Amino acid sequence: MTHTTILSWVTFIYFAAFVFYLFRTVFGKTFWGRLATMTAWVGLAVQSCALVWRWKLSYDLGIGHIPLSNLYESMVFFAWSIVFLYLILEWKAANRVPGAFVIPVAFLAMAYASIAPGVDNNIQPLIPALQSNWLTSHVVTCFLGYASFTLAFGSGLIYFIHPLVPADKDSPDNRSACLPSPDTLDTLIYQGVVLGFVFLSMGILTGSVWAHFAWGSYWSWDPKETWSLITWIIYAIMLHARLVRGWRGKRMAVMAVIGFASVLFTYLGVNYLPGLHSYLNA
Amino acid sequence: MILIALLAVGGTFLPQQQEAGDFLHRLPPAAAEWLLRLQLLDIYHSTVFYLLMSLLSLNLIVCSLNRFPSAWKKIRAPGFPVPEGLFPSAGVEQTFNVKEGKDTVVSRLESLARKRWGSVDRQETERGVFLFAQKGRFAHLGVYVVHVSILIIILGAVVGSLFGFEAYVTIDEGQAVQEVELKGGRGIRQLDFAVRCDKFTLEFHENGAPKTYRSDLSFLKDGKVIRQGALLVNHPLSFETIRFYQSSYGMSEDNKAHLSFSRNGVRQQPELVLTEGDVFELPGSQAKGTVLRVEENIMEMGPAVKLLISSPRGDVQFWVFRHIEEIKQMNPGLLNEMPLFNPALFKPYEFSLTRVEQKYSTGLQVVRDPGVPLVAGGGILLIAGLMMTFWMSHRRFWIWIFSDGEGASIHIIGMSNRNPAAFEKEIRNLHAAVRKAMTI
Repeated sequence: MTHTTILSWVTFIYFAAFVFYLFRTVFGKTFWGRLATMTAWVGLAVQSCALVWRWKLSYDLGIGHIPLSNLYESMVFFAWSIVFLYLILEWKAANRVPGAFVIPVAFLAMAYASIAPGVDNNIQPLIPALQSNWLTSHVVTCFLGYASFTLAFGSGLIYFIHPLVPADKDSPDNRSACLPSPDTLDTLIYQGVVLGFVFLSMGILTGSVWAHFAWGSYWSWDPKETWSLITWIIYAIMLHARLVRGWRGKRMAVMAVIGFASVLFTYLGVNYLPGLHSYLNA
Repeated sequence: MILIALLAVGGTFLPQQQEAGDFLHRLPPAAAEWLLRLQLLDIYHSTVFYLLMSLLSLNLIVCSLNRFPSAWKKIRAPGFPVPEGLFPSAGVEQTFNVKEGKDTVVSRLESLARKRWGSVDRQETERGVFLFAQKGRFAHLGVYVVHVSILIIILGAVVGSLFGFEAYVTIDEGQAVQEVELKGGRGIRQLDFAVRCDKFTLEFHENGAPKTYRSDLSFLKDGKVIRQGALLVNHPLSFETIRFYQSSYGMSEDNKAHLSFSRNGVRQQPELVLTEGDVFELPGSQAKGTVLRVEENIMEMGPAVKLLISSPRGDVQFWVFRHIEEIKQMNPGLLNEMPLFNPALFKPYEFSLTRVEQKYSTGLQVVRDPGVPLVAGGGILLIAGLMMTFWMSHRRFWIWIFSDGEGASIHIIGMSNRNPAAFEKEIRNLHAAVRKAMTI
C-alpha cells in the first residue's frame, strides 16, 4: 500500500460524497446530507494523512520538500483546498446544497491526477528554480484562491438551476425548498469571490517576490502571469460591478462562471503555451 | 458614475489586449511578421498598452478623487444629531425596559460602552439621553488604499523601466567581464566594476534532473577583488545596486587539462591547469610548451592533450594520453612505431595528464531596478487595503435611554456598512451585555 493508492481511494470517497450531496439535493432528505458531509470529512482526513505521508516520504528519499511541486501534487492539493474550504463554508453557512456542485470539481481534480496520462505521480526532486521558501506560500495562496473561486462557481451554477426546478408550494416534494434562496446564493458567490480575490492577490504578490529572487524580474509577462492578471481583472470587474453598480444575482452568477473558466485556463490551459510555469516540461 | 463606467471599459480593454498578446505569441514568426510593425507582438511594451495603462491610472485617480469626499464624510460623520428616522427601528434594534432610573442606566451604560468601544459621545435631549459609539470607520478608506497601492505599483514599474535596466552576460570560467548586453538588442552597457566567474558548478539529482547551478563570482574594482560570493538560483547576489541572477550555463569550447611533468624522473610541482593555446615554461631548459589541443576523448582512447615544445633544438609535437599505460599494454611496441604518442618524447621530460575537465561558462542576468521597493510597498498596501475593504466594517451604535414611569426604557440600534449577518450577532451580543450590566 502506498500513499498514491490511498489518494486514489480518496478520489472514490469524494465521488461518493458527491453522489450523497446529489441525493440530498434531489430527494431533500437530511440523512443524505449528513452522510455526504461525513463522507467528505473522512475523505479530507484520509487525504491529509496521505499528503503528510508523501511529504515524509520525500524526506526519506533525501529530496525532502513539501508536496506542492508538480502537476500531480498541485492537483491533489487543489482538491484538498476545495474540500477544506467547502466544508468550512458548509459549517458556517449551514447549507449543504453547494456540495453537489463543488465536490465534483474536487473529485475531477483527483481523478485527473490519478488517471490522466502524462501526470507523473512520482516524488521528484526539486529543480533549482523551485528550491525556494516562497514555493509554499505561493502555491498555497494560489490554490486557496482557486478553491474559493470554485465555491463561487458552484454557487453560481445553482443559480442557473433554480428556474428549472418547479416551485409548486402545494407539493410535499418541494424541491426548490432544498435549494438555497437566491439571496443566500448571491452572498455565497460574493464571499467566495472576495476570499478568492484576496488569496489570488496574495498568490500573485508572493509569486512576484519569488520571481524577483529566482528570475531577476518580479513580472515577466509569462503566459501564466498574464493569465493570472486577466483572472484578477475579471474578478476585479465583478467586484466593482457589484459594489459600484449594484449587480446581484444572475449577473454575478454569470461572472462567477466566466471567472472560473479563466481560473481553469490559468491553471491548466496555460500549460500548452510556452512559459516558465509550464508543468509539462518541468 | 460615467467615470466609473469608463474605468470598467478600461478594465475590459486590458484583458482583451493581453489575450491578443498571448494568441499572437503562439503564431509562427513568419505569419505574424506584419504584426510586429503594429507592435502587437511585444504588446506589453507597445504604445497602445502604455496608453491603456495611463488611462487606467487616470481613471483610478479621477474616480478615487471623485468619490473620496463622500467617503470622508462618512468617516467624519458625527453621531449627533441622531439621524432622522433612526428611532424607532431603522436598523437592527433591540428594546427593553428596566426598573432602574434613567440616570443610573445612563452612567452604567456609558461605562460599559466606554469599555467596549473606547470613546462614547453623549447627547441629552428632551426625548432622553442618546449614547453613540462607532468602530472601524476607516473601512471606508480601504478601497482608496487599494487604488493608491495599484498606482504605486504602476509607478514602480515606470520607475523601473525608466531608471533601471535588464541585461545578460555570459562569462567563461576564469574570465572577467565589465560589459553586459542589454535585453532586446538595446546595446551594451558598461559596468563600473568587473565580474569574474571563478568557478561554475553543476550538480544533478539521481534521476538526472538538475539539482544545483552555482557560480562563484568575484567583483573587482581597479583589478582588486572587492567581494566574492556564490550565486545560486533563487539566491541572487547584489553589488552596488546591481543584482546578478543565475540564469543559464554553457559548456565552453575550451577544456581544462590538468598536466604534470617530471624531469629525469623527478616530479615537478605544481600541477598545471591549461587550456588550448596556453604557453608554459619548462624549468631547467630554454624550452617552451604550447597546448595545441585538449580533447576529452580522442580516437576512443580517452582524454589527451597535444603539446608543442619549442626549444633551440627545434620543435617537437606529441600527444599526452591520460591512459597511456593501458594503451601501451594493449599495443606493445606502439611508442616505437608512433613516436607521436610518446609523452617522454622531449627528453629529459616526461608528461602525464591527470584529467581533462569540462570548462563551463555561466549565463547571468544583470538587473538594476530602482522601482522594486515601490512595487513591494504597493503590494503590501494592496493586501492591507483589500482586507480593510472586505473584512472591516464601519459599525455604528446608538443607545437611547429615556424615563418610562418608575424605570427607564433602553433602545439599542446599530448600523453597519457591510456583513449584516455578523453585525446582527454583535448587536445581540451587545444586548446581552447591556442586560447583564443592568442586573448587577
